[in-house]
Parts: sequence; structure tokens; C-alpha cells
Amino acid sequence: MGFSMLRPIFTQMFKKPWTNKFPVKYTPPNTTKLLEEVAAGKVQINPPIETPKGFRGKIKYDKEKCIGCKLCIRVCPCGAIEFKGKEKKIKIYLARCCFCSQCNDVCPVNCLSMSDEFLLADVDKYSKDLIVE
Amino acid sequence: MSKESNHLDAKGLVKYFKDEFKTKIAKAEIKTRKEGKKQNEIVNIWMIIDKSIFRPFIKHLIDYQYPHLAVVSGNDYPKDIELVYHFSLDYGKDRKEISLNVSVTVPKSKPEIESICDLIPGALITEREKQEMLGIKVKNIPDSRRLFLPDDFPEGVYPWRKDDKGMKKFIRNLHEVKK
Amino acid sequence: MAKSTTKTTYQIPIGPIHPALKEPVMFEFEIDGEKIIDVDVSLGHVHRAIEWTGMRRNPIQVIYLAERICGICSFVHPMAFCRAVESACDIDVPERAHYLRVVHAELERICSHLLWAGVAAHEIGFDTVLFLTWEMREKALDLTEYLTGNRVTKGILTIGGIRRDVTSDQLPKINETLQYFKDNFEKLRHVFLDDKTFKMRSVDVGILTKEDALKLCTVGPTARASGIKKDTRVDQPYAAYGDLDMTYMTPDILTGEVNGDVYDRIITRLLEVKQSIELIEQALDEAPSGELVSEPKIPKLLSYIKKTKGEGVGRDEAPRGEVFHYVKFDGEHENPYTWKVRASTYNNILAWIPMLKGEQIADIPIVAASTDPCMSCTNRVTIVDKKNKNNYILDKEQLHRICIEKTRRLMR
Repeated sequence: MGFSMLRPIFTQMFKKPWTNKFPVKYTPPNTTKLLEEVAAGKVQINPPIETPKGFRGKIKYDKEKCIGCKLCIRVCPCGAIEFKGKEKKIKIYLARCCFCSQCNDVCPVNCLSMSDEFLLADVDKYSKDLIVE
Repeated sequence: MSKESNHLDAKGLVKYFKDEFKTKIAKAEIKTRKEGKKQNEIVNIWMIIDKSIFRPFIKHLIDYQYPHLAVVSGNDYPKDIELVYHFSLDYGKDRKEISLNVSVTVPKSKPEIESICDLIPGALITEREKQEMLGIKVKNIPDSRRLFLPDDFPEGVYPWRKDDKGMKKFIRNLHEVKK
Repeated sequence: MAKSTTKTTYQIPIGPIHPALKEPVMFEFEIDGEKIIDVDVSLGHVHRAIEWTGMRRNPIQVIYLAERICGICSFVHPMAFCRAVESACDIDVPERAHYLRVVHAELERICSHLLWAGVAAHEIGFDTVLFLTWEMREKALDLTEYLTGNRVTKGILTIGGIRRDVTSDQLPKINETLQYFKDNFEKLRHVFLDDKTFKMRSVDVGILTKEDALKLCTVGPTARASGIKKDTRVDQPYAAYGDLDMTYMTPDILTGEVNGDVYDRIITRLLEVKQSIELIEQALDEAPSGELVSEPKIPKLLSYIKKTKGEGVGRDEAPRGEVFHYVKFDGEHENPYTWKVRASTYNNILAWIPMLKGEQIADIPIVAASTDPCMSCTNRVTIVDKKNKNNYILDKEQLHRICIEKTRRLMR
């Protein structure tokens, strides 16, 4: 095969694998039961690796500061922001957001920022967790 | 065949073509752009030529040096279609490359142009794409099958056109949000 | 020679390795026994109408659309678009932004070449080397995430500059990663270039002569491995490449002769990885301080573009070759009037035809993968057997198995 490869293969056997076993070490046979056990405190979840600084997660929206200028709607590449005409505020649909943070850069009063939440999976596109307003 | 030792700069190149074709070249413009600390120049020559001298122009260019054809792009205007051929010359000589952009206008009443595949075989793919996207007929092309569009796409619909032959019924707005 | 026609079908590409694909390719070969006599290539199975969509959005939205043309070249496409708009509208870019653009582009080149090295080894049947190179690639992706926030679609470019800075407290991690690459480069070179199995499968296979490469207008490492000196970073220096010292990477730097086969392409790409590491170090040392964007207020920028009339061209060097963007504004709308994209694999596809004539079927995966196509290569291959007069279809798994069996046969 190539005696040149034997050395790295041998040293690899003694190295610790890079995988961080999040949330639990092995796939549970029944996921709902796992969630109940976690809620009851019987099973601990391994924490995920820390996100780097400047990570682009879920959008945070400060409603009082918003002036209703509609610049973020003009710049959003995905069409994820909707304007509520009567109150002059916006509504963001996270199911379409691509987390580019261009709306943060454009906003003249800095009312949008990105948090570091990334566990956003859901079964319903328009559920309450995935709409920011 | 090619005068390798006779390397011309941008002004010399424009003169080389104007000497041969005189009034058939409507416009020749040299634009430079400088980037970086040492302000290296990036040279672009934009030329507008008449459709009747298209093939002699390409032959004259190959006599000077075999060019590298990047792509053919197309602009759609109300009465005619403009094709822009992007060539580049003098690659391989450190920092001396010149980009030559040649545009030819074709009327919509008779959208035809000659193929250059016998002179530059690498132009096959880009000419096939123009045939199906803009509705231009390329004469003497060795292979005129469709390239990107599927075979059952309707005839006579050209996606890049902005007039009535463009795409009307094929758009579905997938992102109407339910309120 | 009679050619039978096949009906093209819609195919969803299941590219196991390359992230975002442009199209799967359908080949049609004519064979006599095991030898290939003629090749026919057809494209267009995944056409996403990106240029049509881009002509209906304003330039800031088009940057994010351009990023998603290709997953591996996801920094070079928006950079070419931004440079085309800057050239059309005469927008200046500050010097610090030029140097930072070079740093990110070269980091992406390292990631892409290491991915390609793993794919080439996998096609030959050498899965251990696949995992070795991809372990090195994970370090490069970690550095990308540290600097930009994402591993793949980075989102840090804007018209007139760059959005994120490299601060001095990020420098220790960058130097640590570059030192890791320098230490492990020798291991990589030894595995690829001194190994008997690689030499057996790649020397004198898939030869592309210099004349053919010139006539078919090939670009990138495919052209450089055939001896043509063509590299957009050196020919028309953009960003800060004009200030850094670099040269064309052809195989005769290492071996002294140029054959144009698969082995030469492996050499070219490994030499480019080494060159990228040196370029990043140089760019970070020499980057001047200053601002990052020439026009930070976006509404002002958009209204300036709306009033300008002009056309511009942006050409960059992606890991696979030259990328070309053409933009035209008409002075009345802020959406581009025309946007034309030419990714680097378009020109390299016609080069498959002279490379594959005369080879055996088992060599198809390694030859097609050696040009580094930006798609899942040979999704479906139809074989036309002239002697027995039947057609049969070999899909990716069967082709891959045939390729590995040849390696085992040669090793005995």
C-alpha cells in the first residue's frame, strides 16, 4: 500500500477524536423519551462548543428604537422582512432569513443585532419561535 | 504567423485595428483602473465594430496573437441585440495583460451572426448558450443542440429577452407569506 | 461513426463531496472493448436561472446571490461582481480592504485544494489519504469561521470594501494555523508525489497537450499543468496581488519537464497551496491601516449607482480558474441591466474530450476529477458498446468500483 502511510495511521490510534459529543454520546432509540428525561433532570446534556465572537445567530430586534424607515426591507436578499403599515414596525420571518446581517449594517438607529443562538430547528415554518417582531 | 516579438501596448493595438478597418470601427476607448499600493494598471479596451467586418476582425486579431476568449455576453435593447466578445491578450508576460471587449450589434428583424468555432474551437459552449438564451442564430455552428435549457422547453421563448419573447408564465412566486 | 442519442432527464445532483453544485454532467462514450473512442458531453441538468434573478434585484442583494453560485468558490464570485460594479461606476476601494480581500481569497484556495486532494485520492481508492487531507482542511475551516463567522458562505464583502476587519488579537490564532500547515505540508507532498500507487495511476494518463489547451481556452491549474502561463493574479494584478511577489506555478518548477497528465496537475495544485500560505503571511505583514469601506452609507451608494451609466468587467482567479463577471447599468434603475457570469469550469469542460480519447473506462473518474470540476462529476454515464450493440448505464457507484478494482489489479 505504501509504507509512507503506516506511521500516521499508527500515531492516529493514540489520538483523541475531535468530535464533541453533543447532545448525548449515542443516538437515543426514542427521542421524545430523552427529552422527558432531560426535563426531569435524569440525563445531562453535553454543552455545545462555544461560538466565536461575531457569530451570526438569531436576530434580536429592539422595537422601541425602530423608526419605520424600511431600509432593511430594501436590502434584505431573501425577502424575510415585512412591514406592518399601521404601527410602522417590522416583522422578520426566520424561516427565510439567511443570517447575512446586512440589515444590521443598514439600520440608521442600530435596533437590530445578531445573538449567538443557533438551535432554531422547528417543525412549523411560522411558529412563534421563528417570527421576530 | 503570430508576431510574438512585436508586442504592442494598448494604444498601439487600437492603431493596428484602425489602420486596417478605418471607419467601420465606431468607437474605441481605453479605460485603466489602478489597484493596490503600487498602483498596477488594469487595461480594458472597449470597441464597437460593424457587423460586416466581424470575421475579418477576428482573423486580423489571430494574425497578431492567438487570443483567449473568456465569454460572449449579450445586452437586449428594444430594437436590436448587442453581443460583446471578451478577449484577453498577452497573458504569460508578467503583469502586461490587455483585455479587449468587442461589441457587435445585430438587428432583431434578422438576428444572425457568423460562428467563430473554426478559428477558436473553445467558443462552442458560449455560442450555444447565446442561441438558446437570446434567440440569435449562429451560422455554421458545428453543434446546435440546447445547452442549459431542457429539451422540452417551448420554442420561441428566450429567457434573457426583455420584450414579449421573454419569460412570462414560468415564474412562481414561492415566497408569498401566509398572514 | 453512428452516435445514438439519449433523452436528457432532470437529475437532482447527489454530489457527495462538493457542497454547492452548478450542474451534473452527462457523458456519452463510444467504446471498443475497454478503450474509449469518442466522447460527448452534455450539460444543463441543474440550471437555476441565477442571472435572470440577479437582473431583478439591487446590487446589494445580488452579492448574496452571487455567493451561492458555488460553495467552494464562495468568496471569489462576489468579489468579481463587486469589482465589476466598482469598475463600471468608478468607486474606489481603500488599501486595507485590498489586502484583506487577498487574505480571505487565499484561505479559500487552501481549503479548496485540500478538498480536491482528498477527492482525487478517493477516486483512486486511497481512502486513508482522503481523511488525512480533510483533517488538515478542518483546521482551515476553523480559521475561516473564527475570522468571518461562517465556514462556507462568508458574507463579508460589500461594494467598495469589506465588512469585517482582522484585528491584532486575532493574529496569534492565524499564525498558529499557518504554522500547522507549514509543518504538515511535507507530509502531504510525500504521500502524493513519492508514492508508487499514485504514480502508476496518474503518469501518462489523461494528457492534454499545450496546443489543445490553447485552442479550447482552458483556464486555471488545468492550463498551467500543460505548460501555459495563465494566471489572472499575475497577468492583471487586482486587489493587492501586484504588491506581493508571486509567479506562475507550472510543473517544471518541481520536476523540470511538462507532460500535461494527471500527475502534473497534482503537482501544480500542491505548489499552489504552498504559494497561498506564503501570500497570506506576506499580506498580513504588509497590510496598511485605514478604513474598510469607501462609502459606509448604503442608501447613498445605491442612489449613486442608480444615476451612473456604464459597463464593467471583473475577472478573478478562483481555485479552479478564471471567473468572469460582466455588469451593465443603464442610468435609470439601480438593478443591473445585464449580468453575465462565467464560472471557470465552463471552459474546462471541452478539454475533457481530447483527454479521454484512448483511455480506459476505469480511468474516467480520475481524469474527470483531475480537472477539479465544480460539480459532482459523471453522475450518469451511458456506455455505447459498438461490438455487442447494447447500451447500458453505469452510475457513480459502479464507475467508482471499476476504478478501484483497476488499482488493486495494478498493485499485484
